[in-house]
Amino acid sequence: MTVTDTASPHTTSAHPSLLDQLLESERVMRETGHYAGLDRLSLREADPLAYEGLHTKLRSMVVSARELARRISASPGVREVGESVVALYTPEGDAIALSTGIMVHVHTASRFIKWMIQNGYEEDPKIRPGDIFANNDAFIGTVQAPDVIDVMPIHHGDELIGWVAAVAHELEVGGITPGGDVALAQERYTEGLFVCAEKVGENDELRRDYLIRLERNLRMPIYWVLDEKAKVAACLEVREAVKALIDDIGLDYYKQATREFIEEGRRSQLARVQQLTVPGTYRGHTFFGHVTEGKQGVLPLGNRNWLYAIPLEMDITPEGRLALDFDGTNSWGYHSMNCTPAGMDGGLFVTLTQHMNFDGKVNDGAWMATDMNLPEGTWTNPGREDVATATSWALLLPAFGLFQRLLSRGFLGRGFQEEVFVGQVNSPMIEMGGESQYGDRFGIALFECAAAGSGALAIKDGIDTGYVGWNPESDMGNMEVWEQDMPMLYLGRSISADSGGSGQYRGGTGFESVWTVANTPQLIIATSEHSSRVFDNAGMCGGYPAPTVQLHHAVHDAGISERGRRGEPLPHRIGNDPHESDIHRYTDGETHVIEGPYLAEPLRSGDVFSHSYNGGGGYGDVLDRDPGSVARDLANGYVTRDSARNVYGVVVDQTTGDTVVDAEATQARRDEIREERRTKSMPVSEWIASSRSRIAEQELAPEVREMYRDSMALSERFAGEFREFWSLPADFVFAEREGR
Amino acid sequence: MTSYQKSEIAELIDGKLPWHKTKAMMSAHKDDTRFDTYIAVFQDRVAWDDPILLPIGENLFIVQGADGRVVKCSCGQEYGSYKQNWKLKAHIRVRDDAQSLGEIYPGRHMCDPEWMEIREFICPGCARLLEVEAAPPGFPIVFDFEPDLETFYRDWLGKPMPERAEV
Repeated sequence: MTVTDTASPHTTSAHPSLLDQLLESERVMRETGHYAGLDRLSLREADPLAYEGLHTKLRSMVVSARELARRISASPGVREVGESVVALYTPEGDAIALSTGIMVHVHTASRFIKWMIQNGYEEDPKIRPGDIFANNDAFIGTVQAPDVIDVMPIHHGDELIGWVAAVAHELEVGGITPGGDVALAQERYTEGLFVCAEKVGENDELRRDYLIRLERNLRMPIYWVLDEKAKVAACLEVREAVKALIDDIGLDYYKQATREFIEEGRRSQLARVQQLTVPGTYRGHTFFGHVTEGKQGVLPLGNRNWLYAIPLEMDITPEGRLALDFDGTNSWGYHSMNCTPAGMDGGLFVTLTQHMNFDGKVNDGAWMATDMNLPEGTWTNPGREDVATATSWALLLPAFGLFQRLLSRGFLGRGFQEEVFVGQVNSPMIEMGGESQYGDRFGIALFECAAAGSGALAIKDGIDTGYVGWNPESDMGNMEVWEQDMPMLYLGRSISADSGGSGQYRGGTGFESVWTVANTPQLIIATSEHSSRVFDNAGMCGGYPAPTVQLHHAVHDAGISERGRRGEPLPHRIGNDPHESDIHRYTDGETHVIEGPYLAEPLRSGDVFSHSYNGGGGYGDVLDRDPGSVARDLANGYVTRDSARNVYGVVVDQTTGDTVVDAEATQARRDEIREERRTKSMPVSEWIASSRSRIAEQELAPEVREMYRDSMALSERFAGEFREFWSLPADFVFAEREGR
Repeated sequence: MTSYQKSEIAELIDGKLPWHKTKAMMSAHKDDTRFDTYIAVFQDRVAWDDPILLPIGENLFIVQGADGRVVKCSCGQEYGSYKQNWKLKAHIRVRDDAQSLGEIYPGRHMCDPEWMEIREFICPGCARLLEVEAAPPGFPIVFDFEPDLETFYRDWLGKPMPERAEV
């Protein structure tokens, strides 16, 4: 790559400034269409073994550094669940190689590095060997406040030749509600402790004043503080290994090869799209309901309910570029679910690495072969930097689960059915704080959510209790480990029957946990990332969405000890009866069933609480599901007897102790369902004609009306398509929501 | 170069390819002949002769029909030009009350009918459930996929689009 003759006056060494390098890199990319202007991969062509060998070494460095970090961390989120990632970057901040783990943050760290370069960090506070920079500001480059990124420069002599970044998801950030995903945050000012591209260490050491700030502003500083040390150790490990490697292979080779890796990654992405999909326009939607009106603790700014529409149109161009357009989605709001372009980049990146670029050169090249339209003013790109993004996964995960379905339509068309995937789902978080079982103040995110059910595949059922989109190494962690860090004891952790979307292939099931609160006078719980009133996922090709409208069940003074003494049953799960929970059945107190985020009075010893994690969407017509698979699911607790009969049309005989399909009764029941489909359906044109007046008269729930009003105001295209679909006049608009 | 027997692709489509083979298929480089084999499996299975141009769903295809390129169910039911949304010519059952939603999502699993309805797009020919939408009342029906068939065949597959055999 050549260097321009417009070198920055701030250049202090013989090397061009990072800003000049970044601007030049962007110019070359723009003008040539190739990363670093590389129209040939000359090192790859000359000696592919040496070239591939270097890539393998770099990748093994970041993978082993992440493992090292996991063993230093005190956080079960990092240690048990693996909420961390390590990656290597070019001087301009483009990812070269990344470890396993929460790969979503690989590109957000790119944004962070570029932001420092663009904002004159070479001048002030200067970028020197041994410096440590940290960031958890999503508008600079991360997804949400708990995703704290550390980066360190890698120097060769006096030249900065790259960066290494390590990310850990913090379990406590000191926000208005405890934990990492601060459910109640409505503005930036309530999200907790921010570190904004700050130099937090020098000479390979974290600054003491930074650590003091952490200790004094977090409910449970041990997590963040030790994660910092773990991340610095990982960065140092990679930095020294890269320097040793450069001594071996030479700096010129390293620079050229790492750029070729990225260009190869970019080309591979385009080629992969052409190989696996079909060009054209793909569309879909998903929705999310946020019910907070009147809840305890909700500040006046956000005292309302929200319904979010997330429509997505994706063009696959003849060249193989993916162009995602979120036009038509809704405004940002005074809640914690907003996202930033950096977060959206992260969502796209982690999806691509799982579905298109899971082998070969996994790096920023894939991201360079994509485009996204994030309309300003929407939750995807608020256009102002004081909005809260503490639980941005709430909308981000459904959005990119939808992206997975759109991609999968392409895989399906092309014949690669083994790649078709109905998509990821939200896996609701539970955060808590108050007084621990040890008598100290505490706070934690109970990260067992990192193991939801996945969407189904086109050839098999989804993964049960073992997948989340943000971390392909999903793991719920052992109950006993979580019990060490919170004043609750598990009464049970169980598969949730019927939580996977029904279909020829069933969505993976979620799970549910029930706890008894123990040894604390005060346990504050806040939950997030669970949709209310609407399912925030979908099925595909006839499969049904998973039922993701989760409720919380809490019982004050549940009498668990007394029931135990009396030898009476205890609640170990929410249970299979959708109309009455085991929590209600097997506790002594009154069961409070809470819709939306759990924001209520603190719990204390003797209370019972439950939380559910989502299953994934189904694939294909339920009547095409093998009856034997339904019987197996019933025997193993994945579906209920009612669901088997009512949804799948499978009748079983369990009188012998085994679960055996009654073939004749099943055939009759399936014929009955087919007949119901014929008699209870109508031509779509008739349905549209009969439904039109309801829309024209705006006879819709206030939140639904507001969703349409907002989308139509933000998007002329959405407004036009809405009016056209319902044959409404050109001046049709929805009425403003009542009240101020 | 990776390649698979037609019988293996047929097993894949049916969800009957043994897991160790499926896993190997997922991990291996993709086979260049997949599309042709895939189409051939479907073409053998349908009772009609229109050349399949592109599968767009389970049992739903774009075919070269007598009246142009149309969407067609495996049962033979046609839905008109692939440039138009096939759903508009399907039958629909909308679950928008507690009773009908409760058949699929009973009790606490149910969405709020005021906020979301379940739309089942049913083939008038074979009563197969082709697609399900979950959307708030009033949300326009989605046109899932408009492929660029010309680019796909000409530039990506490098071959002409199949034509109907002369009668």
